[in-house]
Amino acid sequence: MAEFSVERTGPGWYLVRDAERQWRVAVADGADTTWVFVEGHVGTIEADTRIRPKPGRGRGESGVMAPMPATVVALHAAVGQSVVQGDTLIVLEAMKMELPIRAPRDGVIRAVHCATGDLVQPGVNLLELE
Amino acid sequence: MSLIKRLLIANRGEIALRIIRACRELGIESVAVYSDADAKAPHVRAADRAIRLGAAPARASYLDAAKVIEAATASGADAVHPGYGFLSERAGFARACAAAGLIFVGPPAEALERMGSKIAARKLMIAAGVPVVPGESPTDQSDAALAAAAKHVGFPVLVKPSAGGGGIGMKVVRSTGEMAEAVAAARREAKAAFGDDDLYVERLVERPRHVEIQIFADAHGHTVHLFERECSVQRRHQKTIEESPCPALSAAVRDRMGAAAVAAAAAVGYRNAGTCEFLLEGSGDDARFYFLEMNTRLQVEHPVTECVVGVDLVQAQLLVASGEPLPFSQTSLAQRGHAIECRVYAEDPAQGFIPQAGPILLYREPRGPGIRVDSGVTEGSEVSVHYDPMLAKLIVWGETREMARRRAVTALREYAILGIRTNIPFLLGILEHAQFIEAAIDTGFLDREGAAIVAASAGAAMPEAALAAVNAHRALGALGTVRTIGTSGSPDPFVALENWRG
Repeated sequence: MAEFSVERTGPGWYLVRDAERQWRVAVADGADTTWVFVEGHVGTIEADTRIRPKPGRGRGESGVMAPMPATVVALHAAVGQSVVQGDTLIVLEAMKMELPIRAPRDGVIRAVHCATGDLVQPGVNLLELE
Repeated sequence: MSLIKRLLIANRGEIALRIIRACRELGIESVAVYSDADAKAPHVRAADRAIRLGAAPARASYLDAAKVIEAATASGADAVHPGYGFLSERAGFARACAAAGLIFVGPPAEALERMGSKIAARKLMIAAGVPVVPGESPTDQSDAALAAAAKHVGFPVLVKPSAGGGGIGMKVVRSTGEMAEAVAAARREAKAAFGDDDLYVERLVERPRHVEIQIFADAHGHTVHLFERECSVQRRHQKTIEESPCPALSAAVRDRMGAAAVAAAAAVGYRNAGTCEFLLEGSGDDARFYFLEMNTRLQVEHPVTECVVGVDLVQAQLLVASGEPLPFSQTSLAQRGHAIECRVYAEDPAQGFIPQAGPILLYREPRGPGIRVDSGVTEGSEVSVHYDPMLAKLIVWGETREMARRRAVTALREYAILGIRTNIPFLLGILEHAQFIEAAIDTGFLDREGAAIVAASAGAAMPEAALAAVNAHRALGALGTVRTIGTSGSPDPFVALENWRG
């Protein structure tokens, strides 16, 4: 897949660029399907539970995962640190966007498995909460 | 004569909105009606006031003539516009309006009746000198008499129910040997669909074009035609793309068709807007045309004529219904440029065109010079299973047919509708088809090419850029506010391509 950068231009609308051209893409979420439009094409894809956890799922577990392949640009967590739900623990960057990873609940950081500059993959624990 | 003051619009969707707009431009108050499924529909919100008719099924709401008339009376309306479909061609409804002291925006009930029966209409047209497809409707309906009629007309023939419509019970017969079986099947289907198994036999016109003439008559003795629309791009007798002018029509044949349509209207004492449908065989000055039927209402595809002729047919309808003379004369009318209309349906071409229902999650209409969208939905609308699946009409105008065609392609590629499947990829496939580009089309075009067009659009690859947008969208949804930053970075996507259905 080519290198793309993505810019949000309005609710549901994205401007996607690669080295040669740009596309105007619309995305909308249905009950269990994500819809996408580009240049007269309409595609659907089943909602991915890896990205959109159902309420509760993953929240009670100890791990905190990346939602997508991304680069760690900031780390605000250290082992032994107490955090409250909503604290920003890690900032990822993907496709020209910063993605803050927040604490899913109150707790103490038990382990950190990444460092600034790391390229991280989805489904891998970035840190563990106690 | 004074104008209608308050108009009840006995319809829904895009045509109700179209009529409400014309009312507002003329200073007429508009009254919308709605079923429970449409309580939040755009036409209900757009009108000056709205009245509930009943439950969602059309029979309990839009098709219930008594409820519509009650709503008109209760709202103090002095006129009713039936739109198209629903009650628009029912003589009984037109009469009931008159009995309630309401102006029916359409032809007199007698004209609706005369054109409602195919056999009676055909006899009237022959008497008026309007060419009809060579055929016979024997009073003796025995197998032998029907076979004799077929032989006399000349094979191949079409056996049709006399009370019919929509292609039901129509059988192609190519030789005497096939006649008995076709007659038996046509009778069964006619009896089941219309409660009447009278048949007629006519010569089969092979590879005809469907060309119709818009006519308009007022109560002051004026009847004019507003040239033709070609509607050959049909799927199972459902029009899909219409255009004007018809590329196969020469000026001489156009004049003769126009005169025939005016004669047809005069023969039934027609008033207001109507359309004479013809089959066109061949092209150029040698082309022959045959009267098919008259549509005694405003047509879905009326904007094509509005764009090419530069008139407002709905305003003209309201003026004529008010007793005013026609706002145009035959000599003032001319065609300029080319217009194409694409009907956008909530249906999935890849699944046998099954109608789609559900919420419209995202909606954006194309805009630009020469682009018009008449739509009945908006973002957040719920498309229901109760009514016709037509969501909108895209109408484009260009100086030439090719300019209009390219404009339609560009506009459709910008027309974003998410949440339900639509036929937009199919419309694009038609517009880009070599035979459409060359205007080498006839009413069998989609029967022959439709499956290949569907297959081609189903196999089209979704640009990978779409995946990048989906990933970004999901990251936003999962994580709340995300700030766009100035550096680049584009890892491999985790969304598998095989999950896509374009």
